[in-house]
Amino acid sequence: MTRITSPRLAGYAGLAAIALIAGLAAGRVELVALAAPFALAAVAGAALARDPAIEATLELDRERALESEEVEATLELLSPPGGDRVDVLLPLPDELRSRASNPRAVALAPGEPRTLSVPIRCERWGAFVVGPLLVRARDRLGFHSWEARVGGRAPLRVYPSVETLRALLPPLETQVFIGDQVSRAKGDGIEFADVREWEPGDRVRRVNWRASARRGGLWVNEQHPERNTDVVLFLDTFADVRSAGRGTLDLTVRAATSLAHRYLQRKDRVGLVSFGGYLSWLVPASGTHQLYRIVDSLLQMDIVLSFATKGVDILPPRTLPPKALVLALTPLLDPRSAAALLDLRARGFDLVVIEVSPLPFVQPGKGELAQVSYRLWRLSRESLRARYEQAGVPVIEWLDGVPLNVPLEEVAALRRQARPARA
Amino acid sequence: MLVYAGVLAYAAARVPSFAALVAAIGVFGALLLVFVLVRRADDLLPWALAVLGVAYTVSLFLHGSAVDEAAPLVAAGLLLCGELAAWSLDERHAIAAERAVVLRRGLGLAALALASLGAAAAVIAFAASSAGGGLAWTTLGAVAAVLVIGVATELVRRTA
Repeated sequence: MTRITSPRLAGYAGLAAIALIAGLAAGRVELVALAAPFALAAVAGAALARDPAIEATLELDRERALESEEVEATLELLSPPGGDRVDVLLPLPDELRSRASNPRAVALAPGEPRTLSVPIRCERWGAFVVGPLLVRARDRLGFHSWEARVGGRAPLRVYPSVETLRALLPPLETQVFIGDQVSRAKGDGIEFADVREWEPGDRVRRVNWRASARRGGLWVNEQHPERNTDVVLFLDTFADVRSAGRGTLDLTVRAATSLAHRYLQRKDRVGLVSFGGYLSWLVPASGTHQLYRIVDSLLQMDIVLSFATKGVDILPPRTLPPKALVLALTPLLDPRSAAALLDLRARGFDLVVIEVSPLPFVQPGKGELAQVSYRLWRLSRESLRARYEQAGVPVIEWLDGVPLNVPLEEVAALRRQARPARA
Repeated sequence: MLVYAGVLAYAAARVPSFAALVAAIGVFGALLLVFVLVRRADDLLPWALAVLGVAYTVSLFLHGSAVDEAAPLVAAGLLLCGELAAWSLDERHAIAAERAVVLRRGLGLAALALASLGAAAAVIAFAASSAGGGLAWTTLGAVAAVLVIGVATELVRRTA
């Protein structure tokens, strides 16, 4: 532990020395009497100096939690010689809040472990490391203090809360594997599609006897097969607009988690592309493992400032499989992501843009120039939306506080009325 | 501040005709103490005490050659003032302290104040006793002074 001696100790010794010399020189015993307490305090201070050699352990009651849940941190402190005053601070990131006093000052009995509990409220998602503890021990009169970082580190993953989604966006085309999505193609399935003339190889149980009797030949039923779909969540992480502890990146991550959770429940394959200063991706896959992979990847998502020009060319081809539905979550702030999305559309991907609106987090300035700038900025956003619409890409604005179901329903309604043309 | 004011009032009251001079020196020290407490400049705390010590010394010399029997109280008061100010400075950060912590420091401070009062009283009592003067006592005093200065130098070196 790092020892720090109070300047008061040297000051007291100095005062004692000066008073003693003055007393001897002047022959005044009162000055020697003045010196005595300070000399005594200096000696007592030196005698009290014992390194408390504090050992500590830090444990969390669990490593994973959801947003707004509480996690209990247990701190165990031990000092063989004891500590008259030990200040204990558990450093926490801004996203985690302690409801108990942190820091707090405790007294440690010699050789007896002391256990402290710190309830931690998880305010925001993220991957965190809690610890080590910062401890500062003082002797009884505060002449010496010892500071150290003790205890280990405890990882804590706070997962974003998942919104219940009533319906999901069906992609235009399905894949070849079994799933829950009724395909537009005809084949073996449950949903009736059409009748056609019997061909060699057709099973007898598929014969539609009523149609065959009416038409005087063998006719068989055709069904729509149930297939899975590939969904790629394309997250624009070039910029984040934040205000009062909330921001577009938070909304993006929460929406991505909810969508991944729901699509994977439906046996679809879900991939992830984080397109920003730091590029990361997950190849589409299905199952619970993929959900954990996606959520873990989302937890580490952050805004990294970059001026590098990036396009979708740098993504591995397997990240964006053909016929995949690309669900883009973007605040439409960075031209690089806007261009990349238009590029995806030009390559024939089924693209839907959910615009995570930064407007609730932006306060226009008060001056006339600021107001004009704000209006111009909003106009430029309108213009960008128009470009997407011209390219046949539905862009739905999603505002903070509005359930994610709302933009999804809007996109579904739009796609029912207007089918995108093949690029 | 109350302890400081008490010691200063006593020093000024001992020499009514020079009370203004003593008070002026003491007020300077009090301002320095306020500065220390407000700006959390704990390095200057011994200086504030030293100024009060100077005020008391001035009153001693102006009063005459008679031994001030209340000197142990003044000495303990000075130390108590310094310790209370240091405690106040230590509590500058909002740290929730449990009762045992406050109690331990309070008891430690009380013990130190009592011990210092006893030590200062013992010095006055020794001086009043008829042990006789001579070279031996002078040498003992000089050695004690050298020892204290040595300890002070060592402590300053460690804290520097």
